[in-house]
Amino acid sequence: MKKKDLIEFYSIHKLKIFPLIVALSSLFLSIFVIYPQVVKLISNQEAIGSLNKKSQLLETKVIALQSYDIEELSRKLGIILESLPPDKDYGNILGLLQRLTVNSGFSANLISFTKGTGDGAGVSNYGVQMSVKGFRDNFQTLLDSLENSSRLVRINKIEVSSRTNSPTLESSLGIEALYEGMPKNVGEVDSSLPEFSQKDEELIKELAELEQAILATSSSSAVQSPRGKSNPFE
Amino acid sequence: MKISINLLPPELITKELKKANFYKIQLAGIVIILTMVFLASLSVALRILQSRSILSIQARVTEARQKVSDLKDTQAAIMILKSRLAVVDKYWGESTNQTLMYKLMGKIIPEDITVNTITIDQKGDVSLTALVSDTLSLDNFIEKLTDKDSNEGRVSQVSIENLNRSRDGLYRVGIIIKSK
Repeated sequence: MKKKDLIEFYSIHKLKIFPLIVALSSLFLSIFVIYPQVVKLISNQEAIGSLNKKSQLLETKVIALQSYDIEELSRKLGIILESLPPDKDYGNILGLLQRLTVNSGFSANLISFTKGTGDGAGVSNYGVQMSVKGFRDNFQTLLDSLENSSRLVRINKIEVSSRTNSPTLESSLGIEALYEGMPKNVGEVDSSLPEFSQKDEELIKELAELEQAILATSSSSAVQSPRGKSNPFE
Repeated sequence: MKISINLLPPELITKELKKANFYKIQLAGIVIILTMVFLASLSVALRILQSRSILSIQARVTEARQKVSDLKDTQAAIMILKSRLAVVDKYWGESTNQTLMYKLMGKIIPEDITVNTITIDQKGDVSLTALVSDTLSLDNFIEKLTDKDSNEGRVSQVSIENLNRSRDGLYRVGIIIKSK
């Protein structure tokens, strides 16, 4: 077909061919350009929304993290780690039990450590067997001071024996000293930051006061506590 | 009065009408094509602007992430503190079954009963040996142990393991109290 024939064919059917070309071009532009771009625009708008949200969350987190007083946070962490240490703290628990028994008017005859029982709630423990001797009337005080001690311990066995008409008693206590290992994951960058409630602040304050109270009485307790002869060769 | 007379031959009139029609179609077609091109260009331009906006937000996110990473020690301290506070709050000051049973015994044992030994095991069950001067006191004690109001709903079973009477008229009793 020659050019002349084509022109002639077009001039005869131009009323049909021109609208057809316009329709096809519009369709092509719609399908291959406008539609994909609009779809991408909508999906990107959603992505922008989520990115903005993430950005705001992170910026808020940065402001919150910067607002913490590092020294104060370390002090609180120290208090809570004294209360629930990351590992078995035999020395600390030994000192604490001695102080608490002496403060309650008892004397500890024996303190031994045993294997703990799994708690199942992520908290580990080890056992402490303690034999004490003291006045019958003070025994409840000893139990209360153990339960309300700033160091987390739980009494799981109580054996009490006393002679008839004797004001004193001997007791063997089974104690679980709780501890919790450090978590391997201490929060992702994108994770939200926990907030401390009024109850948390009060709990830290109470623990700190208890620790201070125990430390304050430790010097006088040390004097009262039976430590044996000053010179064992005498 | 104005009179208009078309003196053109009919073939020419038809041809002119067709031509005018085609111009209209051509104009509409061009308008449509231009509109489509405009829309396509607009969508592409918007996409380019959007991409720039995404890049700037991504940069902000990356910067914020870096700042959070720099403060990871503070974050770790906060996370540890919070998780430990939850554990301490759960256990601290909470009486165990054993201490509660001991307190209960202290409340309900009558004064005329002399307790020699109390053993509270890991289940919270109490094993008790005592000296009683008369059986009435023992009855009173057992009644208190089995009464739901007196035992605070903590006792599930009470059994007397042994009961001996000595020469001096005192009763030596061994009781096992199972906790709920």
